[in-house]
Amino acid sequence: MEHRSSVDIYTEWDIVAARQLGRNEAKKSGFGTVDQARITTAISELARNIYLYAEEGKIEITNVIEDGLIGIRIIATDSGPGIPDVRRVMEDGFSTSGGLGAGIPGVKRLMDEFKIETELGVGTLVTAIKWLR
Amino acid sequence: MNARIPILKLGDTLIVSIQWELDDQTALQFQEDLLAKMHETATRGVVIDLTSIDLIDSFIAKVLGDVISMTGLMGAKVVITGIQPAVAITLIELGIRLGNVLTALDLENGLDKLRKELEV
Amino acid sequence: MNKQMVKGINQNVDEIIGRWQLSMREEQDERFFQFMPSDLVDKTSRVFAELMTSNIAESDVVNREKLNEFTERVVRFGWSIKFVNKAIDNFSDIVFQILEAKEIITNDNLRAYLDIYTNWIPPLRESIIEAYSTEYERTIDLQKIALQELSASLIPVFDKISVMPLVGTIDTERAKLIMENLLEGVVKQQAEVVLLDITGVPVVDTMVAHHIIQAADAVRLIGAKCMLVGIRPEIAQTIVTLGIHLHEFTTTSTLQRGMQEALMLTNRKIVEVDKE
Repeated sequence: MEHRSSVDIYTEWDIVAARQLGRNEAKKSGFGTVDQARITTAISELARNIYLYAEEGKIEITNVIEDGLIGIRIIATDSGPGIPDVRRVMEDGFSTSGGLGAGIPGVKRLMDEFKIETELGVGTLVTAIKWLR
Repeated sequence: MNARIPILKLGDTLIVSIQWELDDQTALQFQEDLLAKMHETATRGVVIDLTSIDLIDSFIAKVLGDVISMTGLMGAKVVITGIQPAVAITLIELGIRLGNVLTALDLENGLDKLRKELEV
Repeated sequence: MNKQMVKGINQNVDEIIGRWQLSMREEQDERFFQFMPSDLVDKTSRVFAELMTSNIAESDVVNREKLNEFTERVVRFGWSIKFVNKAIDNFSDIVFQILEAKEIITNDNLRAYLDIYTNWIPPLRESIIEAYSTEYERTIDLQKIALQELSASLIPVFDKISVMPLVGTIDTERAKLIMENLLEGVVKQQAEVVLLDITGVPVVDTMVAHHIIQAADAVRLIGAKCMLVGIRPEIAQTIVTLGIHLHEFTTTSTLQRGMQEALMLTNRKIVEVDKE
């Protein structure tokens, strides 16, 4: 019963498309306004990372049902340069792009589950889940 | 779709009401437009109303923060109004505090607050 | 064999109940047998014995219907689960002793008795444990909802001033709820100052302080001011000892003093009026 949809990220406009898709899916799953904002913002951060660092990639949004819990899973994949030091990007305030450095650790705080896998020269895969309370 | 955000002048105050979701280009364009408008009019204060905005991510937050710092450098004060509860919670959880920003519940309160700030 | 046993039990039911009651009275924790009037104890005991006996199946299979009836009614006695367990144990022990004494159970049919026992006591026990744990889970769920309902409502006190009294322990889940209620309340009530009253929060550790600071920050973002009131001496001590920085927002020891400050911030004060 998994419903899956995705947006390819090539341009800045795709960031907007991805978060709009996320908001619609979150609304459909029954998330409240605050959780909708959390999910949409997390998608925005992940999509922007793809655009800034990998140039192209994909945001995939799936409805999940696990152990009676309903949730939304965001998967961000790219075949970019990968992250040399994952621990540092998880630190607050660390940024190589001149941003606020809130992106990755921020996404972790906004969502309930968070996993990052990366390999230099191969790409990065971020999985994040928000459960309906 | 790449429309500019209208900036209204009211005496020595500029009023901006952002009505739709900001994309990166529009945000940057807005930053430029606002500073230019401040320069050509003798602006002492700016009120930016975000009532209709339901998403501020770290990029938009940075642009807003920059606008406020730049405005300060140009000798004017900024009040941000109408940040939605959901947006505020998301910003705090992202770790973005916007520590030195003046805020008010709505445009009316914002103009009041600006007036008081400018009197001191 | 089943029938023989049931017959044996029914013939000796008074003796079984008598001895069973005696053994149950020794259970110190349970107040039932110590404080209830004796006729009620007798009545309940008889019902219990009946229920126990009715569950010795006539065949070798477990009778679900009877089992459910047993569980449903025993749960209604309101005994503790430990006590019910003991009651079942003691009852089957006493039945065995008496039936052995009356030579209904002998060395020859011991094997058959064991089979009956297996289909009799363990299912009862399992059913009881299941019923109790379901009941406990339900209670916990209800309490959770009750706690959520009573936690965190924002009360408008004066024009532009609202108070949120916090009571009880604050965990991450509750902190999120508090933050949402707080912010939505501020917008709805058009509050310029909100007082978070932590008089009823027993412990303020770094985690709780972190949540409070976050809430205050979010309140500032939407355009109001958050004050922390009701800081008891021991809370002040732990906050400083833990190295938590709260100096960015106003704090006062009592709600009254906080309210005075809130009125000052909104350019008002309370004045006494002379009675004519």
